Amino acid sequence: MKSPDGSSTIRRPLVAIVDDDESVRESLPDLLGEFGFEARVFPSAQEFLVSDSLGLTKCLVLDIAMPGMTGFDLQQELKLRGNKIPIVFMTAQKDESVRKRALERGAVGFLLKPFSDTALLGALNTALGLG
Amino acid sequence: MAVQSDGPAEEIKRLRRCINDLVSVLALPATWTGSDPSRIVGDLLGALLNMLSLDFVYARVRDLEGTDLELVRTATEWKPKPGAQAIGEMVRPWLRIDAQDFPHPVRVTLEGREMSVVPLQLGVQGETGIVIAGSSRADFPQQTEKLVLSVAANQAAVGLQASNLLSAQRRVASRLDQHVVQRTAELGATNEELRKEIAERKSVEKRLGQEETELKHSEAHKAAILDSSLDCIVAMDHEGSITEFNPAAERTFGYSKQDVIGKHLADVIIPPWRREQHRSGFARYLATGKSRVLGRRIEMTALCADGREIPIEIAITRIPQDGPPSFTGYLRDITERKRNEDALLETHAKLARSEERWRSVFENSAIGVALTDLNGRFIAANPLFQKMLGYTEEELKQLSFIDITVEEDRNLNWMLINELLEGKRRQFRIEKQYRRKNGSTVWVRNSVSVVPGTERSPGFLMALSEDVTERRLAEEALNETRSELALMARVTTLSTLTASIAHEVNQPLSGIVTNASTCLRMLDADPPNLEGARETARRTIRDGNRASEVVARLRALFSKKNATFEMFDFNEAVKEVAALSVSELQRNRVILQSELAVDLPSVLGDRIQIQQVILNLIRNGSDAMSIVDDRSRDLLIKTECDENSGVRLSVKDSGVGIDSEVEKKLFQAFYTTKSDGMGIGLSVSRSIVERHQGRLWAIRNEGPGATFIFSIPCSTNT
Repeated sequence: MKSPDGSSTIRRPLVAIVDDDESVRESLPDLLGEFGFEARVFPSAQEFLVSDSLGLTKCLVLDIAMPGMTGFDLQQELKLRGNKIPIVFMTAQKDESVRKRALERGAVGFLLKPFSDTALLGALNTALGLG
Repeated sequence: MAVQSDGPAEEIKRLRRCINDLVSVLALPATWTGSDPSRIVGDLLGALLNMLSLDFVYARVRDLEGTDLELVRTATEWKPKPGAQAIGEMVRPWLRIDAQDFPHPVRVTLEGREMSVVPLQLGVQGETGIVIAGSSRADFPQQTEKLVLSVAANQAAVGLQASNLLSAQRRVASRLDQHVVQRTAELGATNEELRKEIAERKSVEKRLGQEETELKHSEAHKAAILDSSLDCIVAMDHEGSITEFNPAAERTFGYSKQDVIGKHLADVIIPPWRREQHRSGFARYLATGKSRVLGRRIEMTALCADGREIPIEIAITRIPQDGPPSFTGYLRDITERKRNEDALLETHAKLARSEERWRSVFENSAIGVALTDLNGRFIAANPLFQKMLGYTEEELKQLSFIDITVEEDRNLNWMLINELLEGKRRQFRIEKQYRRKNGSTVWVRNSVSVVPGTERSPGFLMALSEDVTERRLAEEALNETRSELALMARVTTLSTLTASIAHEVNQPLSGIVTNASTCLRMLDADPPNLEGARETARRTIRDGNRASEVVARLRALFSKKNATFEMFDFNEAVKEVAALSVSELQRNRVILQSELAVDLPSVLGDRIQIQQVILNLIRNGSDAMSIVDDRSRDLLIKTECDENSGVRLSVKDSGVGIDSEVEKKLFQAFYTTKSDGMGIGLSVSRSIVERHQGRLWAIRNEGPGATFIFSIPCSTNT
């Protein structure tokens, strides 16, 4: 995002994307880039946890259904660690109960794949408190 | 009469002629022997006519009976001839005149001719007859002619007398003969009568003789009958004394004939306790003519010489004859017979009981029993069979079992029956349908055997018939259910996978949407990020293709309905399924690993159906681990060569495992441990594997979880 005077002095917020789906990891960063975010992708929850982005991430876009550690598991883990990163969950499952569960766990946003760019943007803005 | 004045030559001629004539005349009687008067006279007249050349010559003779015979001969040139009567008229007056007084010759006129007639007497006094010779010659009669005439007349008289005498003799003889014949006939008749009488007397004597012989034979015969009879024959007179006691009676009672003859029957063979009854009965009969014992066979007790009492059968008859009555009793010892009767009764009772028992079996059997003759015609059917068929036994007797068997089963049925009758088999079983009386059908399972015949009765066929309609309907229903289940399995799998499809497709779809959105934004930028747009557009297309690939693959999985066997690469099939399942497995946090053997042979089978099985096992394995949290959810798919030159696939999970309770029911239809499952997966999977001549089974792992394994041969042997 550029500042009104054109200088790029404001650092772009870091959004972490954790999804085992390759096409997601492939396509989202460019879109987020258009939105003016910095994006980093991780194929699994574990990868994210051991990365150095952990402290820098401003928002986590997190797939729920993943082998090994699921999205909910990661959320749990972060909670245990006292990490309060806002989480936007995304999933292909149309199950209403999943959505409910996500929100109960304190998700800031919930996206049902495939989602529009505006929906994503809205969720991100909410997560980052950007209106 | 004129004297002829002939010369000597003439005279000699005349004399010679005369002598000849005389000779002839004298010879005549020789020819007349036995002739009748008319012939004699006829000859004479003929001879005279010729000899003397007369114009006529007439004769009248009289026989002994006074009958006159007139004859005339006339010269042939005299026509018409004067008849004998005319001449007779003429001569009539001369007949009364004595011959001596005859004026001869006499000149008469006859029929206009003048002639001289010479009458001649036949017989000494003309009693025999008269001959008259007449001629119209002037010199008639000459001396010599007179002589000839006289001699001829004499001869005729002699001849006639002889003839008369002969005929008289004949007459007498004939009369005598007649008498003799008559007498002879009379004698003959008398003879005949006498003869008949004698013959009759003889035949009567003969008959009497025969009768006597017959009587003798009859007597002997009777004696023989009595003697040879095996039955006892005892005869009694009107006083009740024994008059006959045949050898059989002697043997039976132990007396000899002379011992008992004359004794009272009652005292000899009637037991003491019956004697009074006998006596009073006998007395009553003699008085009234009524009896309870006469003329019928009755059983009673008799007494033997040794004191034994024996049962006897006796028939007493009265001997029909005039005078006081006498009686004959024919009796026999029936001890043996009674014993046999008792034994027979007992055997009969036993048979009846046995018959009763078997009858009861037949009637009350819990299975239909039907008997047919060797042509298949019903002889008997128990109530259950009748009920099963809806026919009465009588109706069935009009039918053969073929009649009530449905058409499509008849050929097989006949074939089996023939094998049975030919002795190729002892029995057979057949499941077939009968057609009931009301037209509906019933499935039966029949066990049929031959019951061989005896001398008294022919063999027959026996069928034990069980109604298996319910079972068959159940089987059919079960088969239907299985088909439905198989279909449902597909459907369920489909529905489960629809979720997977959705999930599968969603991933590329998300990518498409995201990339496309990015692309637009990039193009809207100032300046447009063409490079970025191009890249995102490329990704979009790629993801679109991915999505359609998924759909296509999944459609292929479920488009096939029937099993079509072809050779396919087993590992490739496994990989496909694994790829399909990946997303679902990931969702469930299942880590899928595969160990696919290299150089696995191609397999003959229905690729899609095998994939269904693999899918099912994978899903099950995944589900088994759904509650596992304390360890990783590992699913291992392994392919290898099976020892029987087939392929083997195992799906090993680290889930809850299978305990012994579960193990038994694992492959049963509708068994499931899942709350939302239908429990058909394994049952259907097993069916598919078995259809491929393979096996499907499960084992407990050494560690946690279970392994499901199936093996199928590379190629099936049909």
